Amino acid sequence: MNKKDFEADLRTQIDSLDKSKQPERDLWAGIEIALADEASPNEISQQTQRSDKPKIYAIAASVAFVGALTWFGMQQSDPQIGGDELIAALSTQHQAQKDALLVKFQDQPALTENWQKQLEELDEAATAIKAALKQDPNNLALLKMLQSVHQQQIDLIERVHSPKWRQI
Amino acid sequence: MNTQGNVVEAHKAFAEKSERDLIAAVQQGDRKAYQTLYQTYIGQVYALCFRLTSDQALAEDAAQEVFIQLWRKIGNFKGDSKFSTWLHTVTSNITISYLRKQRGWWQRMFNIEDSEAMHHAAEQQTDLGDLEGYVARLPERARIVFVLHAIEGYRHEDIAKMMDMAVGSSKAQFHRAKHLLKEWMGYE
Repeated sequence: MNKKDFEADLRTQIDSLDKSKQPERDLWAGIEIALADEASPNEISQQTQRSDKPKIYAIAASVAFVGALTWFGMQQSDPQIGGDELIAALSTQHQAQKDALLVKFQDQPALTENWQKQLEELDEAATAIKAALKQDPNNLALLKMLQSVHQQQIDLIERVHSPKWRQI
Repeated sequence: MNTQGNVVEAHKAFAEKSERDLIAAVQQGDRKAYQTLYQTYIGQVYALCFRLTSDQALAEDAAQEVFIQLWRKIGNFKGDSKFSTWLHTVTSNITISYLRKQRGWWQRMFNIEDSEAMHHAAEQQTDLGDLEGYVARLPERARIVFVLHAIEGYRHEDIAKMMDMAVGSSKAQFHRAKHLLKEWMGYE
């Protein structure tokens, strides 16, 4: 028997395979229980699309931060260049990201009422860190603190407007 | 077109419309409609899960997982392709992912699948009928690639993405599967 016979035989047997096979146990009961508290598929789809956008913002912020740190690391070898430009770039990038999120959620009710107060407190923290950075522009720990405060602001805005939180 | 052809076309169009209506109802959250969809497709889904896992219990669990996740994914189905085609892709991805989680993908891929114990277990599958039994006996990676390429019609590029492997590896596993089948079917 040659290769051609095998290929033809294999194709014939593949074509005659059963397209359907029933499981021995009932699977529906478990599926029904698992889906008891689920929203409708269309609602889930809309929620997923909404929650994907903040992820994109977060990724963009991370990429920008890594890029800025790389640039900062390169600049450190040149003592004539300070970190002022880097701080300004980070602040501009963060402000743009924050503004975009605030516009996005402007018509959406927030979970807590004092979130804007918390946002202001984080703003004050960022201002204090920037003041310290003016004295010591090449301080990597301060830069990381600034990035952390920025991230906390983004997380706060997303969290208080998140659909998941509103469902609770 | 002759009368019989018209009847066939009309029947097909009616079936497609019924399916579209059923899917639309499910997307709106109609659980009765979802049960109907389950009853319509469980046979196809389970058959694919069984071929990919070659294990009844795993296949049942994987099929259940498919219908749990399908509820969350069906809102994304826009009707650009046939529903059954889309469902087979969803089933393949979920079953492969399920296998990874259940048994430890890397362990199964590199340590266990060629062991004596697995070989012995696979030999127990010969009561499934000719090709079905042989496919169940194949080593796991070779089996999954064979099922997806030869039976389900996926390209190696798509399989490579699904299984997180190189295209060349998918082709090599397919070659391995065919070589074993050729031997078992008495062509060598």
